[in-house]
This record gives sequence, C-alpha cells and structure tokens, in this order.
Amino acid sequence: VHMFGGGQGVVLSCCETQDGGKVVWRVFQDSVMLIAVTAGGGAGGSSSSKEEEARLQRLLENVWNCMVLVLGQDELANVRNVERLKRDLRSCFSLIDQLLEDRQEGILGNLTHCADSLLPPNPTLLQDAVQGFAQAADSEFGCLVVHGRIAAATEKWWRLAPQEVVLLSALMRSLSASGSSSCDYPVFLPHGSPTVAHRLLRFHLLPGADVCVLCGPTPSLHRAESGLLVRFWTPLVETLRDCLAVGERCLPGSVSLRPDVLALLLINRETRRSVSCVRTSTNHPPGQPPLLSKARCWELLKLFYIFSTTRYFTQEETLCVSPEERAQRSSTEDFVLGFSHQPLQCYLVSEECKSYGLQTPQHQLFLLVPLSVPTFALRTVATQTLSDIVTATGF
Amino acid sequence: MAARHHTGRAVSSGQTEEDGAERDGNDSDRESAMSFSSSDYSDDLEPEWLDDIQKNGELFYLELSEGEEEAALAQAAANQGVSTNHVRFSEKEAEIITEQNKKQRCGSRAKGEPALKRLARILRRKRRPSQRRGGGKDGGKDNAALSSPPTSILKNQPGQRQGVTVQQQQLKEVCVYLNPKRLGGSSTPLSDSGGLLEVLLGVVHRPSWSRGQVDPAVVRQEERLTVHGLIPNSPAIKCGQILIGDVLVAVDDVDVTSENIERVLSCIPGPTQVKLTLETVALVDGSSASDTSSVRKTRASPPVSQLVRLLWGEDTAELQMSIGHIPHIVMYLSLKLDSASPQEEEEILYQYPVSEASSQLKGVRGIFLTLCDMLENVTGGRIISSSLLLGKHLVHVSYWKESNNLLVIGLPAERVPLLYLQTVVGDVVRTLKVMYGSLDSAFCKVDHAPRLDHFFCLFFQQLIQPSRLREGSLAPPTDVSGTLFLQGLPAVRWLTLPPEIKMEVDTVLSDFESSDFGEMSEDFFGLRRLYVILGSCLFYKSYLIANHLPKEDLLDVCLYCQHYCLLPLASEQRVGQLVIWREVFPQQRANGTSTAAPGYDQPQGRHFLLIVGLRHFMQCVLLEAGGCASPALGSPGPDCVYVDQVRSLLVLVAFRRFPTPKYKLKLSCAQVKATLLQLEVLEAGIEERLSAPPTPCLSCADWFLPAATARDRLDSLASSSPVFSKLVKGSSAGSRGRSLFGERARRSSPQRSLSDSGSEGQMDAGSGSGSSMAPGLSPHSTPDSARKLGGRRDSLGSGGSDGSGGSGGLFKIPRMKHPNPFYLGTLKKTLTERETEEMYNTMKLTSGAENTLFHYVLMETVQGIFIAPTHREVAQLSGSIHPQLIRNFHHCCLSIRAAFQQSLPARGRRAADRPQGGGWGLGPVKEHGVLFQCKPENWTDQRKPAPTMTYWVIGRMLLEPVPQEFYVCFHDSVAEVPVEMAFRLSFGLAL
Repeated sequence: VHMFGGGQGVVLSCCETQDGGKVVWRVFQDSVMLIAVTAGGGAGGSSSSKEEEARLQRLLENVWNCMVLVLGQDELANVRNVERLKRDLRSCFSLIDQLLEDRQEGILGNLTHCADSLLPPNPTLLQDAVQGFAQAADSEFGCLVVHGRIAAATEKWWRLAPQEVVLLSALMRSLSASGSSSCDYPVFLPHGSPTVAHRLLRFHLLPGADVCVLCGPTPSLHRAESGLLVRFWTPLVETLRDCLAVGERCLPGSVSLRPDVLALLLINRETRRSVSCVRTSTNHPPGQPPLLSKARCWELLKLFYIFSTTRYFTQEETLCVSPEERAQRSSTEDFVLGFSHQPLQCYLVSEECKSYGLQTPQHQLFLLVPLSVPTFALRTVATQTLSDIVTATGF
Repeated sequence: MAARHHTGRAVSSGQTEEDGAERDGNDSDRESAMSFSSSDYSDDLEPEWLDDIQKNGELFYLELSEGEEEAALAQAAANQGVSTNHVRFSEKEAEIITEQNKKQRCGSRAKGEPALKRLARILRRKRRPSQRRGGGKDGGKDNAALSSPPTSILKNQPGQRQGVTVQQQQLKEVCVYLNPKRLGGSSTPLSDSGGLLEVLLGVVHRPSWSRGQVDPAVVRQEERLTVHGLIPNSPAIKCGQILIGDVLVAVDDVDVTSENIERVLSCIPGPTQVKLTLETVALVDGSSASDTSSVRKTRASPPVSQLVRLLWGEDTAELQMSIGHIPHIVMYLSLKLDSASPQEEEEILYQYPVSEASSQLKGVRGIFLTLCDMLENVTGGRIISSSLLLGKHLVHVSYWKESNNLLVIGLPAERVPLLYLQTVVGDVVRTLKVMYGSLDSAFCKVDHAPRLDHFFCLFFQQLIQPSRLREGSLAPPTDVSGTLFLQGLPAVRWLTLPPEIKMEVDTVLSDFESSDFGEMSEDFFGLRRLYVILGSCLFYKSYLIANHLPKEDLLDVCLYCQHYCLLPLASEQRVGQLVIWREVFPQQRANGTSTAAPGYDQPQGRHFLLIVGLRHFMQCVLLEAGGCASPALGSPGPDCVYVDQVRSLLVLVAFRRFPTPKYKLKLSCAQVKATLLQLEVLEAGIEERLSAPPTPCLSCADWFLPAATARDRLDSLASSSPVFSKLVKGSSAGSRGRSLFGERARRSSPQRSLSDSGSEGQMDAGSGSGSSMAPGLSPHSTPDSARKLGGRRDSLGSGGSDGSGGSGGLFKIPRMKHPNPFYLGTLKKTLTERETEEMYNTMKLTSGAENTLFHYVLMETVQGIFIAPTHREVAQLSGSIHPQLIRNFHHCCLSIRAAFQQSLPARGRRAADRPQGGGWGLGPVKEHGVLFQCKPENWTDQRKPAPTMTYWVIGRMLLEPVPQEFYVCFHDSVAEVPVEMAFRLSFGLAL
C-alpha cells in the first residue's frame, strides 16, 4: 500500500483503527522500510492515537538505529544480497527484541531518548575513575553502567548523540545479561560514524555494574582487562557497592523525596539525561485500597510522559536529525505548534492517581502522586521536588 | 373576515399536491396572484420564497434585511461609479411611491400604525423579486452592466484567465449554476425569441438570418451558437467568464448547435451545475491587465459577505479555487469491487471537489480501500483514520464505513488536528444523516449531487478558510480551533436570560407550540392536522435562548444550523427573511426505539424541520407528519400556515395566512399592535442581557501584563513627581480628569507607550493600559480605605460614563500591594443599585479580591447546552493578548476534551473487565490542566526581560449530579478550586 502511494506522490505515514490498533510506516535511507503494527484491542486501547503514534515512531527509529549500530549504514543502504542481509540482521534481533518488549522496568531511554542515569552518592570519585580508565585505554569514550543506567561517563560520552547513548546502554544491558565477564563488540554509531566501526570493550566489575570504553583498534581486550581493570577499579569497590545500593531509586540518599511522590521522571534537557524512579509503597494503611503496583506506575509514568510531550512540551530534537525527518516530525507535531502561548506545566487527574508535568528551560519533571493529595498542592509538590533534587545533586 | 375563510379551498391533506401544482405553474400563478392582489386586496401577497421551493418540497430561502442590503449596496455603488447610484436611486424612489400607496390604502383600515411601515416594507421587498435574489451587489452591478456591458463582465472575471491571451482561439470550460426553478421568478418574458438559452442561461444568440447579414463566413457558421449578448442577472453574466463573441460549443460535453440547444437545456431537470464549453476569442493584453486589477478591487470590499453568497449558492467556484492547492477531499466509495467491470472509477459514488490536489488524493483511493479492508483483517478493528504526506502537506484521512460503502474525508492537518478529526467527521456524518436519513441515501441518489457539492463546499470553506466567509462583516477573525472546539461540543450555546424575559419567551414559544392556529387551523375544517409540532427552539444572535426540544433533536437541529452557518449569519447580519423547510431524519427518532418506554411506541412518522429567521431571531421548529397527524405523502412543501405562525411569532407581526390556493393573507391590526409590543419587550430585554457586562466577570489578559510593568515605572516615579500625584487625585475624584484620560486611553496601545519615558510616559503607560479596558467596565478608582464600600458606589456612578472611567483605576497601582489591582467585582450594568448588589454577590466566580477569570465554557450534557461568554463580552475585553489567549484556550480545550473523550470508553470497559496490572492507558481522566506562559509580542525593550503572565487552562468533567464539562482559564495568581466555580456557575444557569 505504501509503495503504491509512493508512486503517486503520497507518503503514507500511519493509520489507526477503532480500538487503538495502529500501523506506522517509515522509510529509512530510501532503502529499508519498517512497518510497525500494534494490535490495539484491550491493551493500549484507551490511550489516544497521538500518543501511540509517537511511541511507534520512536520504536521504529530505535530499531533502525540499532540495525545500523550492528551492521553499519552501508550494509543497509545498499543492499546487494537480501538473503545475506536477513542473515546478518539476525544478530541484532536480540537487541530489537529488547526494544520491542520494553520489559525492563525503569528504563525509559527508548522513549525519551535521554540516557537513563543513576546519580551515585559520590560522583567525583567514579567520574575520575572512568576518566582515567578511558584515558588508559586510549579512548575518550568511557562509561560506567550500574543496573543498566549510566552512573558516570566521560565528557565525550555525553557528546554522543542521545540516541546513540541510549542504544549503547541498551546494548550493554543485553551484553551483560549474557553473563560473560568481558567482551569486544564492533559497533557503528548511527549518527557519529555510521560507516566506520568502533570497538566496544565491556568489562564486568560487580554483579550489576559494568564499565565500557569505545575505542579504536589499539588496546586488545586482554591487555585492557588484565592491566587496566585492576589498576583503576579495585580501589573503588566499596564506592561501587554504595552505588549498587542506590539501586532502582537512582537517587542518592541525600535527596529526600516527599512521601507523597509515587514516581518521578526528571529529564535534564541540556545534557539529555534522565533520572526516574518509582517508590515502593512501604507503609500504606491496611484500610485503604492497595496502591498502584510498581509496574502500573511505570506504565502510567510512560504514558503520561508521552501524553504531555506530544501535546504540550516540545522535545528538542537535538543535532543529528536529518532535515527530512525533521520536516516530517514537525508536521506530526502540529498540535504542539498550535499553541500561541508556551505551556509550562500540566496535570492530569485520573481515577488512579494524579500526574503532574512541569517544564523549565533546563528540566522536565514528571510526577505521579496519589489521589489523596489535593490538586492545588500538586504544583508545590512538583516545584519542591525539582528544587530538592537539583540542589542536592546538581543534576 | 370569516367570509374569507370559506373562499379558500379548505384543504390539508391535499395541500401538498397543490403546492406542487403551484410550483409547476408558477408563472401563470404568479400573474394571477398579482392581478388578484391589485384588484381585490391590497395586502394579498404571495410569499416570496414560494419560487424557491424545490421539487422535493425543500426550501432554502435567504434574504438580507433592508439595512444590510442598502449598506452593501452603498458600498457597491461607491465602487462602481455614479451611474449605478443613479439607477439605484430611481429605483428607490419608485419604491417609496409604492410604499406610500400602500400606506394610504392600508391606512384606511389600520389607522396608520407603525406596524404598517413594517408591512409596507415587506410589501416593498416583495416588489423586487428578481433583484433580491442576487443581493444588493448584483442588483447594482447588473444595472451597471446594462449601461456598459464589457466592464461589468471584466469585473466579474476571476484572475486565472491569463492564459487566454496567448492563443487566438481557445476552448474554455465554464461551470454555471442553472436553476430551472427560478424561471418563473425571473421577469424576462418567455415569449421572446431567445427561448431557454436566453431565459435559463442568459445568453442571447441572434440567428444570423434575423440580423440580415449575408456574410459567407457567418453563413458557414450558422449552426454555431455565438454569444451576442448577455442578459443581466443571469447565470451567464454572473459567472463572468462568458464573453460576448464566445461560441458555445458544448453543454455538459454534449455538442450543441442552434438546432439542439433548446432540447439540451430543457433536459436539465433541476438546479444543477452545468459545464459549458466555449470557444473564446483572444483578449487584448491591456484588458486582461485591467481585469486583474479590477478583480482585486472588488475583492477588497465585497459588498455582501462571502458567507451569504455561498449560502445563495453563488460564487462557490471561485472560493473553491482559492483553496484548490490545499489537499482536501470527500469521497464515497463502494467497497463492492467488481473486478470485471469495464468502467474506470466505478467505485467512486461521489466525490468533491475536483481540484489538482484532491485528484491526487483521488488517485490513491486504492490505498483507502485496501487499508480499510486489510486493517480489519490484521488488527480486527475498523479503520478510523490515517495520515499521509502529500507533498508538503500532512493530510489526515478519516474513514466512515456504512454497510458496503466507505466515506473518506481527507483534511489538511494544519486545520484539523488528528485529535479532533473524529469529532468533526462524526458531526458531518450526523448532519448528513439528519438531512438524508442515511449516508447511502445521501450519496447514492444522483440528483443529490449538486446539493452535496454545496454542502461540502460549505464544509471545507468553513474549515479551511473561515476568514474568507466572514470577510466584509464586522465579526472578529475566528480561529479554527475555537470553532472546532465549540462546534464539536455536543451542545448549543446558551444565553442565560433574566427570569422575567426567559419566562416570557417560554410562554410565547409554548403558546406557539400548543396553538391550534386559531380558527384557521385545519381542525376548523374538520380535518386531521397535517403536522404536529414536536418542539421548537429559539435562537437570538446565535445564542439559544429557549429550547423546547429533546436534547438529541436539538443537537440535530443545531448541527444543521451550524453547518449552514445560520447561527453566525443571524448574529452578524440582520436577516431579512430566512425560510428553510426540509425533511429531516432526527437521529434519535430514527434509531432510538430502544429508549422508548415499554408500552409507548414512538410514533413512526416523517419529520420536517422548519427554520424561520427574521432579523436576529431564528426559530427552528420540528414538525412531525404521520404518527398522530395524518400521514404525509409525496414530498410536501412548507406549509404557509406554519411558516407564518413562526414568523408572526418572531416578528410578531401577526399577519396570517389561510390555506387558500392563492395564499392570500390577512392582516389583523390588533394583533400587530399587541405582538409588536411584545417583540419590543423581548428584543430590548435580550439586547440588554447581551450588552450587559459579563455576568461572571471576566478579566482581560492584557490587564495583567502591562500592569506589572507599568507598576514598576510608576512606583519609581510616583514619589518624585508631584504633578503625577496630583493627576492621580484628580482622576480618581473628578470625572473631568477621568474623561481626559479616557480620551487618551482610546488611542495609545500598551506596548508602545511603555517604551516612552518621563511623565508623559507615565500617563501613557496608564492610559495605555486603560485602552485595554473595555467601555462599560469601570474598575473602581477610589483609594484603598474606601475600597470596600465606596468603591461599589463610585463605580456605579461612573458606570454610565463608559470608557472614560477606565483610566482611573490605573493610578491606584502605585499604592496597591496587590499584583492585580483591578477590582473587577464591581462590574455591573447601569440599572438599579439593588441589581448591582445582587450581581456582585452572585456572579463573581473566583474567590479572592481580584477577578482572575479570563474565559470559561460550561457544558451540560443532559440538556445539550453550553454557556460561554458572549461574543460581545469577549469583544469588550479587547486587547492584544486576550484574543491570543482565547485562541490558546480553545486549542487547549481541544486537547483536554480529547483526553476526556478517550477516557469515556475506558470507563465503560472498566466495569466489564478490568485488566489488572495490564496497561490500559492513562485511565479515566477527570481533570486536566495546563499552565501557560505568555509574553507580549514584539517586546522592544532590550534592557529588561519581557514581562510574563502565566495562566491556567483547566478542564474538568463532572459526572454527578449531572454530567458536565467545565473549562476555565484563569490567572495563575490564585490557587483556585475549579469545583467551586463550576458549581457557582451552574447554579446561576437558570433553566
């Protein structure tokens, strides 16, 4: 259908059925077309079309990027042998599966295109270690991943395109899930170097903590592992353990969140980093109905994020978006542009909880709070939370 | 009088056939009626809309009121020179004479009541049947055309005919709207030689032999139909593209010659658009240049608003052409694909429009069909929309499947956000269903095509270029999202009225509905009634003021009115006379049998909608035939009794009509007197309500913005400038100082004046802000100490002095600690003090000393009405930011409402099976708010950051006690609880 339309000068981008099913088409590099189909039905039925579409567009972009990451753009753009391509693509299926399933709780980077990060209790120590480690490995790109989130990284690492950072973290997660202690993986950077491969060296430090560097051909995996790893990281084992203890909360103990915040997602719009957490309800009175499950909280947080970004808050698509993509995006985001005044905050009261979104020039904050909090207090809660976190961690 | 009753043939069931007969033999009938009237009764009239009744009994008759037309005409005359003026004046003189004649004759019967003037005016209007059709502009223009035909032709010419100059001989296609039904109305005698070509089309062709020329070339071309002349006010001249000297080659692709032209034209069954193919001669370059300039000139000041012209069915081609580049389409496709069928495009049952961009969309209709089919198989759900990129435009396509056919509507994304596409299309479908019963019956009948063209032309024009339609009228430019939002609400705009007026209106309506039409009802003749009035509703200037219809019916009626822009029409222009009669299929009655209580059978009958508009009033009456009334056969036309009943109620000029074959009407002077008084009471009351200050007091956004900055300046300067403080005292105490500032306030704008400096700057800053204050709104201007008590009285006293009071309040600024010093709680109308007190107590919605409410919409779903500040209230709050704010508010409401809508099905589903832990979206949304920040545009001051103002837009859905949706927009400074406001406002809504 899409090709037929293309012949007639019409580019089909998506369509939608009555109960939320959706099909999205997208062509990359004039060669590969990705089609995403959601079933809709009972599952995502009540989320509105716009949100679903944004989600799928993101998904397609991620899938494409991850194909590039593994195979390189040349391979994909000039397909000579379709059969071979199919076989090659198999290697990135695991990664794509991860994107599709979206199972890992608390990882929102696929959606937000902001690196999920974790704020360690003593960032400078870790920062220095990563910096030194990367330097020793002849690389400018290095990062420490704890619980699948970036705890520390070199400055250059943050200069990578956000999508790449997100993808690399995803790749790290899938690699570390394989259980090997170290590995050497060739990657193409979808935006930085889509045609030339780099090596991604990954080392297992502690259960849940990995360190990686992106480097050229020089240090062999063995040399790096035997020589550098011990030198830099053994003194820091205790710090790393502290780091692991932060766990899914992502925020150091110095930050005291108000008790009535169920979940939060904080995005730094400049560095494209995000911190998110869902608090397990420790003590809710027995008489009350059970609060939301953790999974549901994540779900709601995601949905609310999509809801408010598609409607009110513009996402600044930083560098690295090709002009035609931008054109397409700007036309899909027509609704946001329709506002003559700039939206700053928004809230939503549903039957399950109250959500609050807030945008400042530097941050975006999304909160879930229980229904018991009065609506007019939401704003105070949000601003206070934001200032708390920012002052405590300098995020 | 009683004698007259019996002279008429007393019929009711046979009436419809008579209608038909009347229509068919219009010409002769009219003549006889005329002669009758002159010989017998001076006031015997035939309703002027009779000519317009279609074969199926439908009627759409619109006529502007005298004032509008004359204003329009004056404009036209100014454009077109003295000759027009002269013609016009002479015509008027003639009218005046007739009027006086009438007066004299009537005077003998009616003692010179003012009512007679009114009647006389009606009569006078009657005297110009053909001119009335085209509106004042065409009348004037065609008069000019008589004197100098070529210029007037050029004036009408649309700009895109430049290519003509290149070639010597060129074929061109011209679409002309022909209406054989109007034949009777036209004053051109049929007996003349021209035949149908002349009468219907307005093209004069003189056969060469009659010209007596023996030119061999002409003889050779004897068969050809050369245009030798054009008849004024005819379709040919109106379209402006048929020039003298052109040769008519084909009509609707049928080759015509002088032999067969009459036959071909006589085959045109009803009003339709006909494509004429003409061979044209090359134009001189100079004329084409002047042509475009004159076009521009006429466009700059259209005498009659485009909307009216569109409703009249003129000018559609030009309007449509101007949006031709924007892709939009409506298609009705058959899903029963017959692959063996040889014909191309067979699956297209209907499509509109035919333009380049839409033909591209038409080309890919395969996509729509395939998607519709495929997605149902793949995902199991019915397709509702898809988006596609067409060149640079993103187009949203919406699907609506009915039985085996598919309605596809494509709209540009920048006009209709995807969030709202569904609602828009749903409304269109409902309107179509109301009008035709079902989509199939609407699209599949060939003779509906031209009417559907008109329908969708209106539809697209409203969506794509609403400003074009309103051009030339006084209304402020409307914003698309606002229209979308308000029209998408399943509700009608309601105007709250003071209880006395409300009661009176209701009484009049009830009287109308229950009346048996006095002695001349059908009962009088011992026959069954033809129609039963199901209910009616009354609009005044587009606000619903009384409704006696069930909600669903009301919505049906309202959708129809909205679609045909009747409501804005009535609010902007004084409609001379509007009569609409058509069969409708109210949706609830058509398929809502399940709701009927057991044992009660909804009577199955046919329903008719009668809309009569007069001046600013418009009444919609839903009538039922069949059921308990006698079954209606065929396609009955409007019943004069009902029309007049409605009209008499509206104007309350109670001339009544008897169901006699000639539709003579009688005048009852006593009734005229009584009802005219009634009208005055009503209209005055409603006007009063409209012009009253906004009852839940509103603030203008601009007041908050410049105030913040003005305060800074004034703060710094107030202490150092004795002159200034004197001014402050003077202005707050004496009305002289106030009026001085009031004058100043009118001219300067806040932004500009803020950049001024010195004491001049202070005053300007003050008066600049004052200019944003509306006349009639007088923020009180007394010192703090007297604020609570004295303030109210003070502003009461100054209330009459309107705008001049505006500046006073500003000088309070330096002395106030409040960020928003405008104490608007004391806004009131200049009535009695007690009323002011009441209003003060009840109508201030927000809590706290300052009023921070900017805008609101409250919708009540049970009754299907919503209330919002009236246009005039909004217009009073003029300012640079406020319109923006309202646009933003509406845009945001679109989003909020979409969130509510999406949660509704979720609500239903949840009861059935709640997927625990699984994702089911955000869940039902009860309340949603967005905080916006705005800055003044073009802030020139580099030193300081622009002042900002933040405000909330909050929507809330209440399900109990009555389902309501409430949208408010208020300033950020106060933490408001919207519930409180919602309740206060809804309690104030006396129904």
